[in-house]
Amino acid sequence: MSVNRSELDVGQPAVDSSRLPEEALEDTMRESAARERREKLRMFLTSWQGMTGLILVLVFFASAIFAPWLAPYDPNAIDIANRLSGPTAAHWIGTDQLGRDTFSRILYGGRVALKIAAIGVSVSLVVGLILGMIAGYGPRWLDNLLLLLFDTVRAFPTIILALATVALTGPSLELVLAIVIITSIPQYARVARTATLSLKAADFILAERSLGASTPRILFHHVMPNVVGPLLILAAMEVPVVVTVEAGLSFLGLGVLPPTASWGTILNEGYLVIRDTPWMVIAGGIPLILTTLGFTFLGEALRDIFDPRMGRGR
Amino acid sequence: MPKDAQTAQDTLLDIRDLSVEFRTPRGRVKALRNVSFEVPRRRIVGVVGESGSGKSTVLWAILGLLSGNARVSSGRIDFEGRDMLRMSEDELRAARGEEVSVVFQDPMTSQIPVLSYARQMRDILYRREKMSDREKRRRGIGMLERVGIPDPESRLDQFPHQFSGGMRQRAGIAMALLTEPKLLLADEPTTALDVTMEAQIIHLLQELQAEFEATVVVVSHNLGLIAELCDDVVVMYAGEVVETGDVHDIFHDPQHPYTRALLECDPARLPERSAKLPVIPGDIPDLTRRLGGCIFADRCPRVMEVCRTDTPPDQPTASGVARCHLVGGPHADPDWPPPLDVLTVRTGEGGPRRAAPDQHAAPVLEVEELNVRFRTAGALPALVRRIEDPFVDAVLDVSLGVRQGETVGLVGESGSGKTTLGRAVLKLVEAQAGSVRFEGQEIRTLPEARFKPLRRDMAMMFQDPVGSLSPRKSVRALITEPLQIHGVRGVDFDAEAERLAGLVRLPKAFLSRYPHELSGGQARRVGVARALALNPRLIIADEPTAGLDVSVQGEILNLMAELQAEHGLGYLVITHNLPVVRHIADRLAIMYLGRIVEQGDAEEIFAQPAHPYTEALVRGVPQPDPDRRRTHVSISGEVPSLMNRPKGCDFVARCPYAQERCRIEKPEHRVQPDGRVHACHFPLR
Amino acid sequence: MAFYLAKRLGLSAAVILLVVLVLFSLLYLIPGDPATIALGPRATPEAVARYAEKMHLDEPVWAQFLIYVGNALTGDLGVDVFSDRPVAEIIGERLGFTLALVSAGLGWAVLLGVPLGCLAAVRPNTVFDRITGVLSVGTIAVPSFLVSIWALLIFAVGLGWLPAIGAGEPGDLGDQISHLILPAFAIGLSWVGYLARMVRASMLEVMGENYIRSARAFGLRPNKVVFGYALRVAILPTITLIGMGFGGLISSTVFAEIIFARPGLGKMIFDAVMARNFPIVQGGVLVATGLYIVVVLISDLVIAWLDPRVRESL
Repeated sequence: MSVNRSELDVGQPAVDSSRLPEEALEDTMRESAARERREKLRMFLTSWQGMTGLILVLVFFASAIFAPWLAPYDPNAIDIANRLSGPTAAHWIGTDQLGRDTFSRILYGGRVALKIAAIGVSVSLVVGLILGMIAGYGPRWLDNLLLLLFDTVRAFPTIILALATVALTGPSLELVLAIVIITSIPQYARVARTATLSLKAADFILAERSLGASTPRILFHHVMPNVVGPLLILAAMEVPVVVTVEAGLSFLGLGVLPPTASWGTILNEGYLVIRDTPWMVIAGGIPLILTTLGFTFLGEALRDIFDPRMGRGR
Repeated sequence: MPKDAQTAQDTLLDIRDLSVEFRTPRGRVKALRNVSFEVPRRRIVGVVGESGSGKSTVLWAILGLLSGNARVSSGRIDFEGRDMLRMSEDELRAARGEEVSVVFQDPMTSQIPVLSYARQMRDILYRREKMSDREKRRRGIGMLERVGIPDPESRLDQFPHQFSGGMRQRAGIAMALLTEPKLLLADEPTTALDVTMEAQIIHLLQELQAEFEATVVVVSHNLGLIAELCDDVVVMYAGEVVETGDVHDIFHDPQHPYTRALLECDPARLPERSAKLPVIPGDIPDLTRRLGGCIFADRCPRVMEVCRTDTPPDQPTASGVARCHLVGGPHADPDWPPPLDVLTVRTGEGGPRRAAPDQHAAPVLEVEELNVRFRTAGALPALVRRIEDPFVDAVLDVSLGVRQGETVGLVGESGSGKTTLGRAVLKLVEAQAGSVRFEGQEIRTLPEARFKPLRRDMAMMFQDPVGSLSPRKSVRALITEPLQIHGVRGVDFDAEAERLAGLVRLPKAFLSRYPHELSGGQARRVGVARALALNPRLIIADEPTAGLDVSVQGEILNLMAELQAEHGLGYLVITHNLPVVRHIADRLAIMYLGRIVEQGDAEEIFAQPAHPYTEALVRGVPQPDPDRRRTHVSISGEVPSLMNRPKGCDFVARCPYAQERCRIEKPEHRVQPDGRVHACHFPLR
Repeated sequence: MAFYLAKRLGLSAAVILLVVLVLFSLLYLIPGDPATIALGPRATPEAVARYAEKMHLDEPVWAQFLIYVGNALTGDLGVDVFSDRPVAEIIGERLGFTLALVSAGLGWAVLLGVPLGCLAAVRPNTVFDRITGVLSVGTIAVPSFLVSIWALLIFAVGLGWLPAIGAGEPGDLGDQISHLILPAFAIGLSWVGYLARMVRASMLEVMGENYIRSARAFGLRPNKVVFGYALRVAILPTITLIGMGFGGLISSTVFAEIIFARPGLGKMIFDAVMARNFPIVQGGVLVATGLYIVVVLISDLVIAWLDPRVRESL
């Protein structure tokens, strides 16, 4: 960068200098900004927690997406002769009471988990973000009303709400999705609301208003970019919750219905034969734990790096 | 400090070659490098410096309470002959609070909110095992009384949030003195306070120092406070001590070019109104880099070749040392320093002073009888708690005008309603009554949709330079945003961004930066560029120099003055900083509790205030000259809460001239023959 | 304080009212005869008729709602479809088991998690902190129902150390406690990690506050600074969190009760759902959400008691 001197230091004393202060500062600033970015990347790459999380999450995605190519058997192929076999060369982690290959069922079960997680988290993230921003930025009465609604929804423990609705409609995958979305919207909305509320009084929002910026412009150009970061970290932390809710409901027979393979149904079938073989409840639990662990580690690592307030001392 | 005049026994604290590093994501910051100075017994030593000078780091190093990422890489801190850096944690803790105590910068955050003062004070006295709880309590009450807290008996059981800002700082001083420490450290003790409160706290510290025969180290950026309070001064720059000496020598015969420049930049020292303020160009060096030569070389007006290569040794001066090649050694300049009335830093193109604005120029802004009320409690709580009037008047019957090319200073302490008034003019808060006219057009009642086009002509600069920029937008986007909002077409936005950046002298490379990568001064320039984007005719500037160091604030004020001369802008400058407003304002309006108490020509008001409050403000500013110390504090007390506005004159409880009539009758605004407006029954002129 | 209490009580009442409204309208959102939906296809015509009369199905919907609310206020939650016993009475029998489980689970988690978090915050980045951190994240990530299943598998089925199902013989305290251990362990485990992380983060934040530096500058003993000052403030958000996370605890309790066949509220609702016994579901859900709201209320009041600023705010 070349800076015209006269443009910079109008009327400053003749400084006997080969390096202009501003120019030196320029280099320094560019360098330190880049250094900070590099440092953040380095922090992530060297944090074993973050890397473990990333690898587990990638494995989860890959195995769910490529399940049809990876699975050695049709997940629903019944083979009564080999029912409830322990791990063998043919069936790496055994079979269930109908002789279906547990490994293949786990891979296909991951697809259900991925589907619920992807749809559930993205829909509730978007709706929660918008409702939260409206509550935080809008008039007091609207805020109070929305808060009351959020509180009411949160007052229903997830499983209790699921039980109450399943009692009426019967179990289905769509219902699980709906429950996941309804119960997690308030989580995102609350975070978005708190962040918006603290921004609402910020000088830069007032500055935008003084320029004549419209409310949608303020919300989407100036509030959202500052709110969405913590929300994305929250989303990473919410994936395990969503996956767990699906598995839990399916385990109770209130979610995905047999014969569709899901980690919850595998656990359910395993629970019923728990006195005969431990393999199914072990096999059904491990992918669930690895997935939740992966997303939790990833979310924690991201938060430590990007939210210095939380990451202090780490 | 004169070494010959002091024997070792008289030195309470001796800091030698102290170096401190911080580990940060950006690298190792060498925050302190070979800092040495002495603190003689029963003296008040001021450590003065701008942000980044490391002055607070020194203080925390003394206490052994540096943050976790700090490392003391060398040096010693001898307190009564014992090196505090080599004391065990137990020894150090025994000294803290007992022999060395602290008054903190922000009483709001430095006192634990969930414990009462009684409890906090009892905890501080925990080492006095022979003292009963009742005795401790009595001592707390006595100390609260001593620092001027009324009704200490019952106040002792209150919590910090129940105290006002000034009271809280008094309580902080009481806690620091509870154990009668030998050494009292004070970290920016008045920075969080208002002007009238600042004067009282300075006075209180002075009195208590004499009474307790304590030794005091005051850390501050405020030259006025240092001159008023201290016996000896240590000047720091970018982690080094550049000069030490007796307060008179430092202020009347500074040897180091930085000390000299710092004094020249302080607007309070400039004898008369000048169009251009002196500035020190550039910024402090990056302390993560390897530093060679003189730390100030990059910004020094008298820099020599040797300054860039050789670190100057500490040269003895009349009463201390100065770390500069000019002062002694082979490169010494016998003509340095020049007489005090010669400026060593430039002020920009001298030029004649800008002509006073035309008395008959068209008014840009006319505010009449404007009222802004705030709700203090919701409708339901007010009903339940039987609050009859759940509103406060934040702005009360304010009338004010700004003409083309004129600068009006709106001055007041916190809670005076000055910021609210500025925002109400731009309809950022709702005003309930009165009128606001912009170029003759009534805007208060205008709906937002019809007011929006007028926003192009009225711009606002906000208090926090970095905080008023949307953090995720580049400077380029920020500067051109006003154009986008108002749907300006047919302009090349990039070219426009460069033009505006040039206008505020922001190098083009900065256009791709983000706000957090800017220094306060640079961010302020972006703010000015944004304000100018749509060629406004009125700019409302809320504390335009807040958060800027003395050496930088001149740049912004000069820039604002230049733009005004060029474009005939009207300025409404909202500030608490009297020395600054003195140099830029044509007219002044003084606000107190939401009301304008005095209004008129700026120079005349400074020369001869009519309202006692104005007088208190004008005389209340500590002067950066140890020969002009005030002997008494003119007003006591604090700005009352808006919720208990006095029945008569708002200022009655604090007014030294108050009479019976003032208690009963609210003074109306009166216009004197020369156009001065005041609201006082017994004006001073 | 009186006003604060009144406001909190009013808000809680509003939430409960909304909960009742949701439960009530669920019945009407589903097409079909409410009585048949509520009682399920297996109900006898007499039961349907009795239900229709009891629920005042001939009245307009809003009147039915008011009658339900009125009855609920007097403690009348309707009658069990099969046994004809009052729902309130059945819930009363079951509630004790659930409360015992919840208190035991939360109790051991608090007793272990809070000190762990404190110690980790006092020694950040030590081996102890890192191990606590990994274990905390690990326990948070494992879904509680999986802990229940695996605990059942290992300690009851595999090792046979503890009983697998039931709540123990009435009157035999030792037996009851031995039945309580596994489910309490299962629902408390993730809370240990949760609380430890929360207390650690909160403590680290508070330890960075100016007033903690003041306390240290006045030479207070480290224990005093940590437990007398920092924890005093840091515990406040933790208490809020316990209140808000209580919903999740109820969900875990439902799973634990089902897996360990413990006759609590959750098991009762689950069985009622399976049997389509809607009055029981409705009453059970109401009591479960009411429990959550009461806990949130208590946590708010505890905070108001500990924090003078909250006490005085409106």
